Amino acid sequence: MICQRCPSEAVIHLTEQSDGQRREIHLCLACARKAGLRLPENPPKLPLDEVLQSLIVAHVGELVGELAERSCPVCGIRFMEFRTGGRLGCPQDYQVFGAGLSPLLLRMHGATRHVGKAVARWNPAALQRLQLRSQLREAIAREDYELAARLRDQLRFKDNDA
Amino acid sequence: MTLDDLTRTSGEWLRGTGPESDIVMCSRIRLARNLADFPFTGRASRSEKAEIESHFTSCIAAAGLDLTYFEVNSLSPLDRQFLVERQVISRELSGGEGPRGVALSPQEKIAIMVNEEDHLRIQYMLSGFRLHEVWEEINQLDDRLEEHLAYAYSPSLGYLTACPTNVGTGIRVGVMLHLPGLVQTKQIDKVFRALQKINLAVRGLYGEGSQAFGDFYQISNQQTLGKSEPELIRILIDVVPQVLQYERSARQALVNERRQHLHDQVSRAYGVLKTAQTISSEETMLLLSSVRMGINLGLIDDLSIATVNELFIQTQPAFLQKIRGAELGVEERAVARASYLRSRLSNGRMASEP
Repeated sequence: MICQRCPSEAVIHLTEQSDGQRREIHLCLACARKAGLRLPENPPKLPLDEVLQSLIVAHVGELVGELAERSCPVCGIRFMEFRTGGRLGCPQDYQVFGAGLSPLLLRMHGATRHVGKAVARWNPAALQRLQLRSQLREAIAREDYELAARLRDQLRFKDNDA
Repeated sequence: MTLDDLTRTSGEWLRGTGPESDIVMCSRIRLARNLADFPFTGRASRSEKAEIESHFTSCIAAAGLDLTYFEVNSLSPLDRQFLVERQVISRELSGGEGPRGVALSPQEKIAIMVNEEDHLRIQYMLSGFRLHEVWEEINQLDDRLEEHLAYAYSPSLGYLTACPTNVGTGIRVGVMLHLPGLVQTKQIDKVFRALQKINLAVRGLYGEGSQAFGDFYQISNQQTLGKSEPELIRILIDVVPQVLQYERSARQALVNERRQHLHDQVSRAYGVLKTAQTISSEETMLLLSSVRMGINLGLIDDLSIATVNELFIQTQPAFLQKIRGAELGVEERAVARASYLRSRLSNGRMASEP
C-alpha cells in the first residue's frame, strides 16, 4: 500500500467513520506525523501472531532455571528471545532448545517426528560452515580482522570443497 | 521479462480454467526451505543475506530454470506493491530489509521468495482445483534446486524453518475459493468453524490476517509435521469438494428463493461496473464478486470468467498506477479504475494478449 500523500510505503492505516461515510486513510510515517497524528516514537514491532505467542507461553510454561538462560552457541539466540519473538535463529536451535520445543511442536502439529520428503543428500559439513560463519560474525564485531580474514578463507575453502 | 511486461499479461492462476474453476480460483502449494549453513533470515547479517541471494541466483542458472530474479531493493514502492497484488510476494518481503527478492517464471506459475522469513519460500500456483499437479511440479522444482543447495534438514524433524509452525514438510497446501453464495446466505461462519475444527486455516485473498474481500477465501493446512506431503494434500482434496457442494447448494437456494432479486443484483452490479465514472476498490470487489457468480449461474453470458478474475487484480491501486505510468491519489485512482473497468467491460475481451 502506497502513502496517499507521497510515494513511500504506507504504514499507518486508519478507517474514519463520520455521518455514515467510511473513509480509509493510508499514510507513511512522515506524512502521518505531518498530519498531526500522535504516534508512539518507536512504532511497536509487529507482534508475533497472538495465537502462536499464547501457545508458546502455555506450552513452554514459565521458564525456570537452565532453559531460560540457555543460548545457542552457533547463532547466539537465547530461548527467552525465541519465546517472545516466535522465530528461531538458526537450524541448530532445534537441537539446542529441543526440550523446550518438543511440547510446543506436539501442541502445534500433534506430532514431534517428521514423516515425508527427505533430502537426497545430507551434508555433514554444513554445521561446520554454520559455526565458522558465527565465529566470523563475532570476529567482525570485535574488529579482529586478521581472524575474520582467516575464517573467510576457511569458508571459501569449504565452499569449494562442497 | 520486466515488471512492465507483467502489466500486459496475467498469471496462469487467473485463467479460470481447470476443474471446479467456477469456485476454485486457484490451487497453490508453497515450501519453506533454508540453507543449512546460514542463520535464518531474521538473524542473518546483511552480507550473509547477500550470500544467500547469490547462492540462489547461481543455483537457478546452474539448474537451467527459466526464472527471472527481481531484487526488492531495486524496486520502487509501487512495483513492490504491484508484486504483492499479483500474489507473488508477501507484504513481509515487500517491507523487509536487506538483500531479498523473488524469482518468477513466465505466467507466474513459480514464485520463489528469497530471504523472507525463511531463506526460500517456493510457490507454485495453477488455476482451478489441481493440487496433485501442483504438488508434482513443485516437488520436481524442489528436487532440482536441492541438487545445487544444501537444505537445513534433520532426519527427525524434517526441513528446519525459522518458525516451528512450518517445520517438517515446510508445506502449505492451499486453494483460493470464491464463496459468494455462502456469504449471502450467512452460512460462511459455520463452514469456517467446521474447517478450523479439522485444523485448516481460512484467510482472505491477501493471506495472513488480511480480510477476505470479493468473497474470496484461502483454505490451507496448518499442520506441517507428522504427516507426509501427500497425506496433507489428501486432507484438502477430501474437504474442498464438500465446501464446493455447500457453496453450490447455497447458490441454488438463492436462485430458487430469490431468483428475481439475484438477477437484479447481478445485473445492477454489471451495469455499475460498465458505466461508473469513479469507483472505490472496495465497491469494485463487491460488484465483481456478484458478476462472477452471475456468470457461473448463467445470468451473464457475454463476459468470460478469466476477464473477471483478472479485474480483481487489475483494479488494485498499484496496477492502475503502473498502466497509467503515474502516481495517483485515491480519488484519481477511483477515476482511473472506473475508466479501466469501462474499457475492459465494453467488449468483454482481454485488454491485450501476450
